[in-house]
Amino acid sequence: MAIVQLKQLSKYYSGQSEPAVDAVSLTVDDGEFMVLLGPSGCGKSTTLRMVAGLENISAGELLIDDVLMNKIPAKDRDIAMVFQSYALYPHMTVRDNMAFGLRRRGIKGAELERRVRATAETIGLTPYLDRKPHALSGGQRQRVALGRAIVRNPKVFLLDEPLSNLDAALRVSTRSELVKQQRNLGTTMIYVT
Amino acid sequence: MALTTSKPRRLRLPRSWHGHPDSDTPWRTIMVFLTPALLVYLAFTAYPVARTFYNAVHIIKPRDADQFVGWAHFIELFSKDALFVKAVSNTLIWAGAAPFIDVGVGLILALALYSRVPFARFFRVAWFTPVLISYVVVGVVWMWIYNYDWGIVNAFLRALGLDDWTHAWIGDPDTALWAIIFTHTWKWAGFNMVVCLAALAALPREVLEAAELDNCNWFKRAWFVMIPMIKPTLVNLLILSLIGKMKVFDLVWIMTQGGPLWSTETVSTYVYKRAFNWSSFDLGYPSAIAVVWFVVVLACVLILKLVFRQRDKLEY
Amino acid sequence: MLITRQMISQTLLLLGLSLYTAYAAGPFVWTALMSVRTTSEISADPYAWPETWHWSKYLDAWYSSNYAAYFWNSTIVVVVSVILLSVIGALAAHCLARYRFRGNRLVYFVIFSTIIFPPQITIIALFQVLVEYGLFNSHIGLILVYVSIQLPLTVFLLEGFFARLPQDLFDAARMDGYSDLEIFWRITVPVGMPAIITTMILNTIHLWNEFLYAVVLITDDDKRTLPLGIQKFMGDRLEDTGMIATGMMIAVIPIIIIYAVFSEKLIQGMTAGAVK
Repeated sequence: MAIVQLKQLSKYYSGQSEPAVDAVSLTVDDGEFMVLLGPSGCGKSTTLRMVAGLENISAGELLIDDVLMNKIPAKDRDIAMVFQSYALYPHMTVRDNMAFGLRRRGIKGAELERRVRATAETIGLTPYLDRKPHALSGGQRQRVALGRAIVRNPKVFLLDEPLSNLDAALRVSTRSELVKQQRNLGTTMIYVT
Repeated sequence: MALTTSKPRRLRLPRSWHGHPDSDTPWRTIMVFLTPALLVYLAFTAYPVARTFYNAVHIIKPRDADQFVGWAHFIELFSKDALFVKAVSNTLIWAGAAPFIDVGVGLILALALYSRVPFARFFRVAWFTPVLISYVVVGVVWMWIYNYDWGIVNAFLRALGLDDWTHAWIGDPDTALWAIIFTHTWKWAGFNMVVCLAALAALPREVLEAAELDNCNWFKRAWFVMIPMIKPTLVNLLILSLIGKMKVFDLVWIMTQGGPLWSTETVSTYVYKRAFNWSSFDLGYPSAIAVVWFVVVLACVLILKLVFRQRDKLEY
Repeated sequence: MLITRQMISQTLLLLGLSLYTAYAAGPFVWTALMSVRTTSEISADPYAWPETWHWSKYLDAWYSSNYAAYFWNSTIVVVVSVILLSVIGALAAHCLARYRFRGNRLVYFVIFSTIIFPPQITIIALFQVLVEYGLFNSHIGLILVYVSIQLPLTVFLLEGFFARLPQDLFDAARMDGYSDLEIFWRITVPVGMPAIITTMILNTIHLWNEFLYAVVLITDDDKRTLPLGIQKFMGDRLEDTGMIATGMMIAVIPIIIIYAVFSEKLIQGMTAGAVK
């Protein structure tokens, strides 16, 4: 559980006069579901990527639970992210996709299997655990991407337009599913759309 | 919230990327990835090239100190060395004629396959086979094919009653070079065919269908529509083929070793002979030839690239 | 009327294509047939069908003409070179495709431009360098040279493929906690395997057939690779057409097997550089 604070967070790319992100300040409370809305290309994604640690922070401060995160690499921030393209590992089964992050954190054997199964159960992926991403529908892939984040039980959850590749009906049901999940997990979430 | 609008940047590297890197580029990681390749490159490509340039202005003999001679090798090369001139002219004849034959044959074959013949896949696979066979094997087989007594070329001519036309094809200075050029084309036609075919397959269907509706016959369509559209590929193939001919060594070395009477001597075989076969033991002189030829090849490629680029600009 | 005309032209076309096929494949088929005939049979009629198939000639070539040694020399040199090339080339290609840094395109251009270099520009100096380092006339020396000559094409093909992999995949692995090297090993290598296999096949065939560098850098008979072995055999027993054909088939058969298995992949790989 975490409080995420952005203080005057900015991103400049060399060769461009305008900053991509200009002094964003906001606080996301513990367990809050924060949604960033705006036209495409207004810097939401870049902001999210700075929080994730995928982009360097040009200026300003990022704090999670009052700890300065600017120089902490992505892998040590305990943040999970769901990508717009899902970014599922195409050479791994659903099970391995979900286990990939856990394995890196030293979880293995029965404990690993238990957590993967539990997560798969809550998002209805149990029958597909041994399939590879190319054998799944768009909605199923989206759920794998979500499951891959949930299973890690991170402090903060980042979602970068995770619904934009789904059809309208699926989008509505997945959105309510997401809200339900967030209430159950009580995790801090930042959602860009 | 103050989110300023600006174009989003993807991390994916664009092809022509000239911007400045982030201040904290992960140099250590980059060097871990790049060092093995750079070491191999420096030790076995960059350093030898530099060393060849050094050789070219020295006399290099085993157990003697290298003796600086300045431009002497180059002067000798251009003023006294008739063999070098012969080797250059042979190589240029080859490089001038063969690319058009290679690419022309490849293009005709590709167009034939593209016109929906049955067994196209089989033909393609069969025609490509010579590309994969080593020059040593190709050279030996074609020595037999050209054999005066029992080679199939002469056997065929005799069967037709054309005994006067029989020839020692690679034993006669008048025909040897062309015989080898022919063999080289036999080996590479399949490669050119496959590349042309890939380019044809990538053409937009609508254009071809439009041409069909315009009542063009097949030859007109090929000549006015397909060939102009795959011109960039053809140019690439010509350049590729030209570079190949400028380097040609293996086939000549196996079939004739440059003979008879230097009629098939190429720059590559001449460099090899001067460096490793003649007992002059001087590596400086052949290095000078290598340097001259290196400059010629680079210049050819650059000029061709420039010429064809400018033409393209004028057309559109 | 229209249909008959079309049929005639179709038949003529097929006839022409078949003739070309005979021309393209004929020399190879002829060699294969001679490889199971004795030299005296060949001298009697070079173009006859084998009466008895002398398969034992292959054993003869293998055991009594040193072809076993040539074959294993070629195998060792090619396998080690191809493995090294794949590792070194994939590391470099991943770096050039994935990281933004000053000099990225310069490194790419410098490595790639050596594709057009004529081999003479390095071969004399390579001879000197290998002699100085005691690597002349050794398989290690030849392997290192082979890695260097095939590196540009390998990096070029792999970089092209790796650059097309979506960046999100790599970001996801970073979020999952993996370091740069682990990402290379667990994402780029398995996902890029089709491209890596293509370069492995191309390098195998090219190096299996390589002649110029081998003839300059190897002199001992027991270190010769197959192309050198064939050339030596030609020099020793010029008139023994039958055995030469058998020896050549030993060099060609592995290539034909690779081609039979990977024909599409191989053709695609070889054309990748030329179509643009």
